[in-house]
Parts: sequence; structure tokens; C-alpha cells
Amino acid sequence: MTALIQKPWIWAWIGAVSMWLIITIVTDIGAGAEVMSAAASFGTFFVIVAIGQMFVITLGPGNVDLSIPACMTLSATLAMKFMNGDPSLLLPGLLISLGVGLVIGTLNFLLILFLRIPPIIATLSASFLYQSTAIWSNRGLRVKPPELLGDFAVAKVFGVPFLTLAALVLTVAMAFLLHRTRFGLSVLSIGQNQKAAKLAGVRVERVRFVTYVMCAVLAAICGFFLAGFSGGAALNMGEQYLLMSIAVVVIGGTSVAGGFANLTGLWGASLFMFLLVSMLNTFGLSAGFRLIFTGAIIVAVIVISGRKT
Amino acid sequence: MKASTLGTICLTVAAGLMSTSAIADTSDKRIALSNNYAGNSWRQAMLTSWEKVGGSAVSDGTVAAADAFTTAENQVTEQAAQIQNLILQGYDAIVINAASPEGLNGAVKEACDAGVVVVSFDGIVTEPCAYRIAVDFKNMGKVQVEYLAGRIDGGDLLEIRGLAGVFVDDEISAGIHEGVAENAQFKIQGSVHGDWAQDVAQKAVAGILPSLPEIKAVVTQGGDGYGAAQAFKAAGRPTPIIVMGNRHDELTWWKEQKDANGYETMSVSIAPGVSTLAFWVAQQVLDGKEVPQDLSVPFLTITQDTLEVSLSNTQAGGVANVEYSLDDAKAVISGN
Repeated sequence: MTALIQKPWIWAWIGAVSMWLIITIVTDIGAGAEVMSAAASFGTFFVIVAIGQMFVITLGPGNVDLSIPACMTLSATLAMKFMNGDPSLLLPGLLISLGVGLVIGTLNFLLILFLRIPPIIATLSASFLYQSTAIWSNRGLRVKPPELLGDFAVAKVFGVPFLTLAALVLTVAMAFLLHRTRFGLSVLSIGQNQKAAKLAGVRVERVRFVTYVMCAVLAAICGFFLAGFSGGAALNMGEQYLLMSIAVVVIGGTSVAGGFANLTGLWGASLFMFLLVSMLNTFGLSAGFRLIFTGAIIVAVIVISGRKT
Repeated sequence: MKASTLGTICLTVAAGLMSTSAIADTSDKRIALSNNYAGNSWRQAMLTSWEKVGGSAVSDGTVAAADAFTTAENQVTEQAAQIQNLILQGYDAIVINAASPEGLNGAVKEACDAGVVVVSFDGIVTEPCAYRIAVDFKNMGKVQVEYLAGRIDGGDLLEIRGLAGVFVDDEISAGIHEGVAENAQFKIQGSVHGDWAQDVAQKAVAGILPSLPEIKAVVTQGGDGYGAAQAFKAAGRPTPIIVMGNRHDELTWWKEQKDANGYETMSVSIAPGVSTLAFWVAQQVLDGKEVPQDLSVPFLTITQDTLEVSLSNTQAGGVANVEYSLDDAKAVISGN
């Protein structure tokens, strides 16, 4: 039991479960099941971007990707525009999306490496470039996804959204990558002590490159499926995902200072963030209260996790 | 600079001598648009309308320039600096969609003092020297409830609000609540923020829906109706009357439902082309016309009968739009 309490991811799950219990108690078990299914649907999108952000943040202080919203928007906009509702172009559309992620991740890294711009500023300023490209390419017109993609994005297997299952598989794969492969261990060791990692033979810049590209590719994939899910790409579709990607990582128990990460907490935190909003909406509490509450929770989590290490 | 000042004086004198009906010439006047945000389809349509109408006014020789400038960060300080730059660049009029009603007043006052005509619209400014083209957002909320009162006997409503902390959101919501207060047969069972975005609205509605009783109708703010419809569908709930907000995907969905099962609703929003009305108002002021400081622009309502026409006139993926002509502007000016 005490061992469980000491797990960094436990608080996010305690939060998620208590939010769910409150909602279920004030309504009924049927509503509880429905709200859980909705939480899984929407939480999936948070998890996909948060996985990438988690790897980036784990690289250590100063590492964060602020271009996630712009990357999602550009990927979705270009892919939807290219497919133009034609289901036979689904695969090339997905490839375009992946390509956007690859290019954005590479550009971000090049700015950081060669121009020696701190990642926060590099990814933020580059995101203006990506967002402007999205605006320029389609002037904000909302192109419908192919029906097949829309159906796929909302499909459920025994009440569990298919995308959620896919994201769970992705999570397991990423957990393996993080804890069992040379690459994952390199990310962790760079976050713990970059100098020591370098002296120990870790190719720091190569690992950083792969991490930033992976983050952008995941954001691009998330944008692609989110556009399928919500009926098209929109210029502001990524707006919520900047703060959310960071909040989910932090609340999920990953160290903000880098070097320690876990994927279990991402799911707990994603469900928690969705259920928190639902719970406050159910009680009719205002948006201002919700923002204060969210901020307070993030501060509290950072304080608690900071004290432990 | 000297030559152009001299030219202006000559023209003014000439106009004064020529007649008393004030046929001043605006062909050498330059108008700028100071816009705070471009990151959604409505704003993009607003800019496109401006380019179209402003561009043709320039090629007709009605004005010398109609340039649009958008700030990158949607911040008051940035837009204030932008307005100061536009003053220095010697524009004769600045049309503003403002990031804040009060925050730009200092810069607006500077512009007025420098003899620049300032016309604000949509996001208006409170500085008295500026002209305001305001939308009665409150009424935009209220008409939705009044429409519902004519359609159904009453019941539970779900309210989708916009972006928390924004003036427009508060106004529309206040109008909705006023309407509900006057029509006691309705009760707002839940209220969520959809941020005027379909995916955000879809998420918020999906989260609150399981805890709500049967919802008879959804009152909205625009850009959120389609997302709400998707959330109801995903939850396997009967589709309520969802008030739409003139977006192409909303109108398309409505048309599909109408054809399939006779679904009836209404749609209301502001036409992004209101920027062109502001353009003509600025032109009229430069032309020496008497223009009241406060003008109001009607919102664009689409009904069951006008759905097909509106849908066919709306660009795929865009927003139902109206571009205003000089005559429309004159009508709005004299109507006040």
C-alpha cells in the first residue's frame, strides 16, 4: 500500500477516480458509464500529444515543445485539404500528416541546435510560421474529413473507443521504448545529468533530435484524427492542447525538472482533466472557478513532487 | 509630405468652395484596418471581405489605399503599438477590430488628436472620439429563446457559451438568461464553454450530457452547433433543437436533417463582412458626411425558409456572409 502511494502516477488516478465517483453519485451509474466513455474518447487525444511532450520534458530543464497546437493545425489542415473528402486518399493523407510532423520536428531541432535558441523560444516562434502556413494554405475554411475517417475516429469496440485502444497499445510501446531501450534510457539519463550522459557515451544531440521529431509526429497524428473526430480541421483546433499537454505530463507524475517519466500517469491525468471539467460543469460552476482550480492543482502537484526528490 | 499636405488643403478648400452638399473627394485618402486576431474561419472571412471590397474601392479610385494589418499575438499592447505605427504612416482613417474595449483608448485618442478618423467594429473601443459599429449581442442571445418559445411548450435547455472572460460571451449569455427569465417554461439545466470551436463544444457537451435530463433545445453562440450535434449523436440521445451559428458545416448538417426528417431550427450570427460596413463608414466620415458616433449592425439570421439560399451562397467550410455596399452604409448611417 505504501509502495503504491509513493508511485508518482497515483495522484492523477486518485483524482480521476474521485471526480468520476462524484459525478456518478450526483447522477447515476448509467450516467457514470457514459461519462467514462466520453472521458476515454477525449482523453485519448490528450494522451497522444502528452506522450511526445513527456519525452521532450524528460530531456531536462528548458526542454518543452510549444509548437504542438500549430503542428496539429497544420497537419490536419494540409491532410484534410489534400483528401478533400475522398476516402481513397486516406493513406496518402495520413502520410502527408506524418510528413508535416517530420518536417516540423526537424525544423524545431535545427533552430535549437544551430541557432542555439532555447527550445521554449525556438518552438514558440517557429509555431507562428507553422500556424501562418496553415492560414495561408486554406484561409480557415473547414474541409470535411472523408466519411471513412470520421467513422473510424468515433468507432467503438464494446463501448470502448477504437482510438483509445490504439492509444493504449501506443502507450505500452512507448513505455517499452522509455524503460527498456537504449534510446529511452538515454532520454532519462540526459534529463538526470546531461554532462554525465555525454561522458558516458550518450549521443545527446541525436537523442534530442529523435525526441523532438517524435513529439511533432505524435502531435501531427493527433491533429489528423482529431479533425476526423470533430468534422474537420479548424485554425484554432490545437489551442487547448498546449497547456493541456504540459498539464497532463506534470499532473501525471513526470518530473518537470526532467529525468523521470512515466506513462501510466498520463492516462490518469488526461481522464482527470476531462472529468474535472465535466464535474464542475455538472455542478454549474463557472469557468473562472475551473481555471483557478486547474491552476491550483498544477501548482500543488509540482510542489508535492518537488519535495519528494 | 509637404506636397500632399498642400494638396489636402487645396482639395479641402476646393470642396468647400464647390458646394455645400459636401462632395469631398476621398480618392487620395488612405484607410487601414487594425485587426487583433486572424486565427479562426470567421476572422479569415472578415479579412477576405475587407480585401475584396477595399480592393475594388481602391481600383475604382474611391480611396487611395485599404490595407489590412493583423497583430500576431492578440494582445492589447501589440495592437496599441500597431495603431501608433499606422498614425505615423499617415493613414487618414483607421478601422479597428479591438483586442479590448478599454485597453486601446490611449492609442485611439492619439489617433483622433492627430486628425485620424477611427472606426471600431465587432470588438469596439469605448474612447468617445471613435466611431462604433456595435452588434446587439445581448439581443442575439435573447432571440434564440424567443424563437424556442414560439416552437415548443418549454423544457430543459443546454447553454453553450463562448470563450470565458470575453465581453461578447458575457453579453450573449446575459441575453439568453434574460430570455429564459421572461419565458419561465424554460430552464437552463447546464452551461458549458465551447470556445466558439466545434471540437471544444463537442468535448464539453459530451462531458456534461450524461448528467442531464432530456434536453429540448440547445442555445449557442455560433461555431459550436455542429459539435453539439455530434456529441448528442455519440451519446445516442434524441437530437434537440440546436440553434446554429451560420457556419457552413452547421448549415450543411441542418440541411441534411431537414431533408431526412423535417428538422427545424434557426441560425444566427454576425456576418464577417461587417468589416466592409466599417470601411464604408470610415469613407463616409472622410467624405465629410455627418455620421453618428454609435451605429448598430443587424445580425444575420437564417430561417427554415432561407436555409437553402444561404447554404448555396456560403463558401464550403466558411461562414454565411454579407458584404456591405456604400448604399448599405448610407442606410445604416441615416437609420440612426
